Amino acid sequence: MIRGGIQRAFKLALRRRDRWQEDVEEEIKLHLTLRAEQLMAQGSPPNDAYSEAVRRFGPLTESRARMIDAARYREQRMQRTEYLGQLKQDLSFAWRTLGRQKAWAAITVFTLALGIGATTAVFSVVSNLILHAISYPHADRVVLIQQQPSQGNNTGLRVAITPQTRAVIGWRDRAHSFETMEPFRSMGLLLKTNDDPLPIRATEILPSFTDFTGTKPIVGRLFSKDEIANKSPVALLSEGIWQERYGSNRAIVGTSITIGDTSYTVIGVLPADLKLPGAGRDRTDIWLPLNLKNMNMGLSVVGRLRPGVTIPAATRELDKIAADVEAESKSTSQFVSLIKRPSELIDFRDSLMLLTGAVALVLLVACANVAHLLMARAASRERELAVRAALGAGQSRLFRQLLTESLVLAFAGAVGGIFLGWLGLKAIVALRPPQMVELNAVHLDGTTLGVAIVVGALSGVLFGVIGAFQAARRSPQDALKAGALSTSGARGHGRLRSLLVVSEMALSATLIIGATLLVRTVINLQRANLGFEPSHLYWVPVTLPEKAYKTPASRAAFYDELAARLKTTPHVRELAFVQVPPGSRSFSVGNFEIQGEGGSSQNSGTSFTDVNAIDEHYLKTMGIPIVEGTFFTDTSQAANQVIVNAAFAHSHWGPGGAIGKRVRVQYKGGPDVTWQTIVGVAADAQTTGAGIVSTAPYLYSPLGTPDTRATIMIRTDAPVDLAPTVRTLVKSIDRTIVPPKVESVEAYVARTVAKPRFTMALLTSFTLLGLLLAAVGLYGVMAYSVAQRTREIGIRIALGATQQTIANSVVRSGVVLALAGAGIGLGAAFYGTRLISKLLYGVAPLDLASFATGAIVLVATAVVACVVPTRRALAVDPIRAIRAD
Amino acid sequence: MSTTRLPVLKGTLDLLVLRALSWTPMHGFEIVSWLERAASSALDLDDSALYQAVYRLEARGLLEAEWGVTENNRRARYYKLTAAGRTYLRNETKNWMQYAETVTTILTAAKDGQPSTSPAT
Repeated sequence: MIRGGIQRAFKLALRRRDRWQEDVEEEIKLHLTLRAEQLMAQGSPPNDAYSEAVRRFGPLTESRARMIDAARYREQRMQRTEYLGQLKQDLSFAWRTLGRQKAWAAITVFTLALGIGATTAVFSVVSNLILHAISYPHADRVVLIQQQPSQGNNTGLRVAITPQTRAVIGWRDRAHSFETMEPFRSMGLLLKTNDDPLPIRATEILPSFTDFTGTKPIVGRLFSKDEIANKSPVALLSEGIWQERYGSNRAIVGTSITIGDTSYTVIGVLPADLKLPGAGRDRTDIWLPLNLKNMNMGLSVVGRLRPGVTIPAATRELDKIAADVEAESKSTSQFVSLIKRPSELIDFRDSLMLLTGAVALVLLVACANVAHLLMARAASRERELAVRAALGAGQSRLFRQLLTESLVLAFAGAVGGIFLGWLGLKAIVALRPPQMVELNAVHLDGTTLGVAIVVGALSGVLFGVIGAFQAARRSPQDALKAGALSTSGARGHGRLRSLLVVSEMALSATLIIGATLLVRTVINLQRANLGFEPSHLYWVPVTLPEKAYKTPASRAAFYDELAARLKTTPHVRELAFVQVPPGSRSFSVGNFEIQGEGGSSQNSGTSFTDVNAIDEHYLKTMGIPIVEGTFFTDTSQAANQVIVNAAFAHSHWGPGGAIGKRVRVQYKGGPDVTWQTIVGVAADAQTTGAGIVSTAPYLYSPLGTPDTRATIMIRTDAPVDLAPTVRTLVKSIDRTIVPPKVESVEAYVARTVAKPRFTMALLTSFTLLGLLLAAVGLYGVMAYSVAQRTREIGIRIALGATQQTIANSVVRSGVVLALAGAGIGLGAAFYGTRLISKLLYGVAPLDLASFATGAIVLVATAVVACVVPTRRALAVDPIRAIRAD
Repeated sequence: MSTTRLPVLKGTLDLLVLRALSWTPMHGFEIVSWLERAASSALDLDDSALYQAVYRLEARGLLEAEWGVTENNRRARYYKLTAAGRTYLRNETKNWMQYAETVTTILTAAKDGQPSTSPAT
């Protein structure tokens, strides 16, 4: 008996391993036997018969090997078919079971899709704008090189100084930190056309720039060294202007075009994907050769670091070289280098980072939700699984079915996620503030999508499996015992799921606080007192041709004529000339000094000081009052009068202390600057947009005859479209002048709020999304726990518990979870909100009201999520609850 | 018994095997015996070649096999045509007939290409 058993076991194992081999052997053996028998029947002696049978069979070894191969192939094919059959069975089973719980399946899929979709949309933006900010070869080592004052940048703006040619040449010759360094210079010019001159953007580059950026002319050729040395007037068109203005005509090469007053020969066309570093820059229309002989111009510089060189190391080397270069020309360097990665120049970076964080939290909430949705389901199926196990379904088969189910859900979630991601991205692009041109080019990012799907699917599968394991751990007998389900429940599940809900609540609380802070920021920005009146206020930037308006007299004649005619235009109330229009700033670079206060430690370096030059009508036109002293009483150069901003005057001297004080901006190593006397203090005006307030000095000085570039401020008594009038007026005075644009200050102020509002809108959406998901999660847990406690509730009702008591006990357990979540969330926000302090205006990162809002909204949501479970608890019929198993 | 043994043309063996199985399932030796009977032993073929053909056909899904018992109570693998095998046999038989007919026509044609009754030299 025992031997037989062992033998059978052995044989079974053997057959399993080499079944096809055995089969082949057996078949050959049978054939030889039958052939030999046939031959013997025909009269052969037994010995001869067998050898004849073998001979007729042919090459035995070789045939056997071939037959075994064929048999193995056949076997694998059959296994595959069997496997596919099972998969099909599993899939259709999963489909049927999911179909039986449509609401549950829909919520799970939708949750996954929301998480994946939101993440994909936002990460696509991040990936496009920040991770792949630049498409040059070895983009990870590409940096922009600028300079900043030795005292740093105190303006609150991203202002930088373009290095002088001298320093750039020094760096290119001597710096070891860089593989290459490419200077370029971008400027606005006018292209002569048959109609009005066309404003274009031209960029001067070295021939090596295209190697650096990995591009080639699509038509024609690049500049030669000789052409650069000889300052030959040659130009390359950009693909964009080539298509738009020249109809992609290849014959354009060799012809000449007139830019400004100079005639250039077109030698080629550069592709549209050749872009300058630094996002948001206008596209370049014309590429011109850069001549480094002109030593006194600022250059933009982009370079590629050598592998392994850090930015601080490169900065130190460049500073050392710049100092050497200055020393060689008996000067001292006032600036330090500022090396930035292209992605750091993205305007929207801080907001994007915030949104990325927010959306990651939403994904976490979604994953947590999917997790406990799956676990709740596994728990409720304990019985079904137990029955099936008892009926003989193998553990691995059950496991595989649960896994298939999770995968079906994950797949559906992923498909939905792709769709929602695409939709979300379209929405983001559609809602973007107009000045965020970068966002136009954003597309759905494949990698991001992949990662989001994997994260979502993993959480689905992982928790599906955990649930399955927990369900499987219980012995079928336990689960099948009558009443087992309704009394014992799985304690472990409950705790893990409560934990998941608490984390969802915590994440939501953090999101709500962040969103509230931003909402308050936007409200504050919109209500901010700008210090001037933006309504019905316009500015007109005028540019005169340099050659024709060289003398102040000729300029004065033009400006006077234009002003006189504008003043008689209907609706125009006031009119003024100013050097720096709203939305722009102009800085004097040097050390801000106050006479008699030279000892202070800050008076030793270089910084930016805001300056503006205004005519006698400016403050009145803008609606900026003089709060102390007077307007300029003497606008002559010799009088050197200056008006300062109230914030600086009051913070430095206190009210009334500024008048008569003398200040200047002294450039170290430069000629002595005459002291300027403060005659008046003007109210603070936030002309660069709400929210930019500073106690740094802002110096107004008298504007004489404006330059060839001037700005006219116009106040009307009603909203009017001044553009046609201005255009006609300018053309009637001088046809050669490009008709200026008319900008509305009101629209500009609205635009400055557009970005924070956009961030706020997105963050609020994500917060609502997260909150909704968390509410669904809490609802799920509460509904489950009420279902679990049906019997207990029934007993309590039977024992005389009032409706109030029952409702309290349900809501209390929900609110306890919410409060725990809110506590953790508030704690996280306490540390988290300071990260977004840069994005806030008029509200502190630890704003009490916002934190309170977070807690209140969360608890309110929790109470709402408890409504249905509570009603279900109240509807429990004690008799049925106690009787049912 | 004929003394000349014809070699089997490449690819035709598969067809012969399928034909053998077109009425009833058989095991390997039965197929061999059937072919020998049908061809009056005129085929020059190792028995192993036949088994290889059978295995090949099975791997292609044209045949399927099952272990059964012979009249003398021996375990043997019985092969039968699948639906795909039956279709294949029908199509390939038609092709083979056409081919054979065409070749015959050409081989018996006169010099001017007209069909002739006398065999070609």
